[in-house]
Amino acid sequence: MLDASIADSTIVLALPRGRILRDVMPLVKRAGIEPEAAFDDPKTRKLLFDTNDPNVKIVRVRSFDVATFVAFGAAQLGVAGNDVLMEFDYPEVYAPLDLGIGKCRMSVAEPAAMVASDDPSRWSHVRVATKYPSITRKHFAARGVQAECIELSGAMELAPNLGLCRRIVDLVETGSTLKANGLVEVEHIADITSRLAVNRAALKTRPDEMGAWIERFREAIEDVSDADAA
Amino acid sequence: MTGPTERALLPNGLNDTLMPDAAIEADMEARLVATFAAFGYERVKPPLAEFEETLTDGPGGAVAPNMFRLMDPVSQRMMGLRPDITPQIARIATTRLAKAPRPLRLSYAGPVLQLKGSQLRPEREVTQVGIELIGAPTLAADAEVMVAVAEALAAIGVAQPSFDLSLPRLVPLMCAGMELDAATTASVRAALDRKDAGALQALTALTDERRLTFSTLQRATGTADAALAALGKVFLPPVAKQHVRDLGEAVRLVREQVPNLAMTIDPVEFRGFEYQTGISFTIFAKGMAGELGRGGRYVLGNGESATGATLFMEQLVQAAGPQERPRLLYLPFGTNAIERRKLHAAGWRTRAGLESERDAKAAAKAQSCTHILSGGQAQPL
Repeated sequence: MLDASIADSTIVLALPRGRILRDVMPLVKRAGIEPEAAFDDPKTRKLLFDTNDPNVKIVRVRSFDVATFVAFGAAQLGVAGNDVLMEFDYPEVYAPLDLGIGKCRMSVAEPAAMVASDDPSRWSHVRVATKYPSITRKHFAARGVQAECIELSGAMELAPNLGLCRRIVDLVETGSTLKANGLVEVEHIADITSRLAVNRAALKTRPDEMGAWIERFREAIEDVSDADAA
Repeated sequence: MTGPTERALLPNGLNDTLMPDAAIEADMEARLVATFAAFGYERVKPPLAEFEETLTDGPGGAVAPNMFRLMDPVSQRMMGLRPDITPQIARIATTRLAKAPRPLRLSYAGPVLQLKGSQLRPEREVTQVGIELIGAPTLAADAEVMVAVAEALAAIGVAQPSFDLSLPRLVPLMCAGMELDAATTASVRAALDRKDAGALQALTALTDERRLTFSTLQRATGTADAALAALGKVFLPPVAKQHVRDLGEAVRLVREQVPNLAMTIDPVEFRGFEYQTGISFTIFAKGMAGELGRGGRYVLGNGESATGATLFMEQLVQAAGPQERPRLLYLPFGTNAIERRKLHAAGWRTRAGLESERDAKAAAKAQSCTHILSGGQAQPL
């Protein structure tokens, strides 16, 4: 059974921990949601936070878990990068808004020394270290290459140097980590931004409420971009 | 595979349904079929397996990838285990019942087996209960199917179902009107089905104006009235406009009969409607993560038009919530048959002692009875 404090009228908003959280909070606040003080306390043990709206609660989870919470309806709303949404490809998650934050790209990278001698058109099989095995397999399969993925959850850039594999698929923001490890981007897979994720059944059974929240986030983005322009 | 624990293990997605759930499910199934019968739908019972070609013909093409196949040693042809009953009903209607008067109203109930479950419903064996209304290409027929389903759901105690109406042909019609190629059309449909605004924006094959049209269309979802009003403002080719007008009329016809039914409209969704050609619907309920059922208009192999609906029993049991435990009366050893028959006639369920008890009450409790027969009277325990 669900926690008794989560009523039918509650909206749970799942936010990703880490780098995106800093960018997303101004939008959340502009949409009219102010979390309780404990939310900003790094020492808190709380996982579920109250807000100024008695019907809205916030959970802070790993970015990959945001998609899962929203897909299974544990959270009605969430903020997740399209890297995470593409990787899971959950049919129960809608992404009706591009929040325009957390901009980066997903790329294939390999050691600089290898680039000159490598002819990608001859590949039939590649071994790749990545956090995104599903996207990686699809990307290579589309050009007839079988990708064997070594799943890592961080420090991907180490893999080529330590001989784990020669290529990686990862997010690239400025490219400085790649450079520091002697890697170069050889292919661009997708542009990444954070999206507002919405649970499908919630949108269908609570259309007015969920529709209103989507509109509030839409206005929040427009406010922010207007402020940027000015 | 010898120990008792290993013997309990079932393949993924297959479950034993125990008491009281099995009885609840059977009882609900009977009530659904009875409501459909009240609307004049007659029950048919196709087989569990049939030749692959007939199962995947016409509307069955969409479910073919999810079908278990096996070789029939008798005919040496491939057979399929049905992943969906609708194609079987379509086959019956166009063959054995080809000469039956139209409109033809049929109902069915039975298990289907799928290669893979979905994310929210990992079960591979699902019980489907449904109806098909064949040979009546009218909005009144679409409305009748939705009304019958809504009333059947009410009969089994599903509170607050919500019907999400969709037009699976709308987006392809618009794409055809814009003369988009197949690949772009597929990308547009996929982006709209997931309501993925970012993916839509990234479609550089579209002009800004067209992107805006599609994104306005995507936003025209919500409660029926709001969505119809929003759809009225989207620029649509004439055929698409007619679809939207029909949708509005169908909503009106359903409301006439079931005024309180929650209805939403999502003009762009098409998942699960691979063979539908007209107004289609998905049934949700508050607090339920998955779909309770779906239906819509489609075309049979012989070109006839039909509207159908399928409900998923396991979901309905969950949506109807916990059921009251039926009363069970303990008959101490030696209770005579005449008395038992009287109790049965009065609606009691009984469980009889098979040897003389030292403590009849304790024996009754051990048998999970709620009452005990004592001095000719049913006493609560």
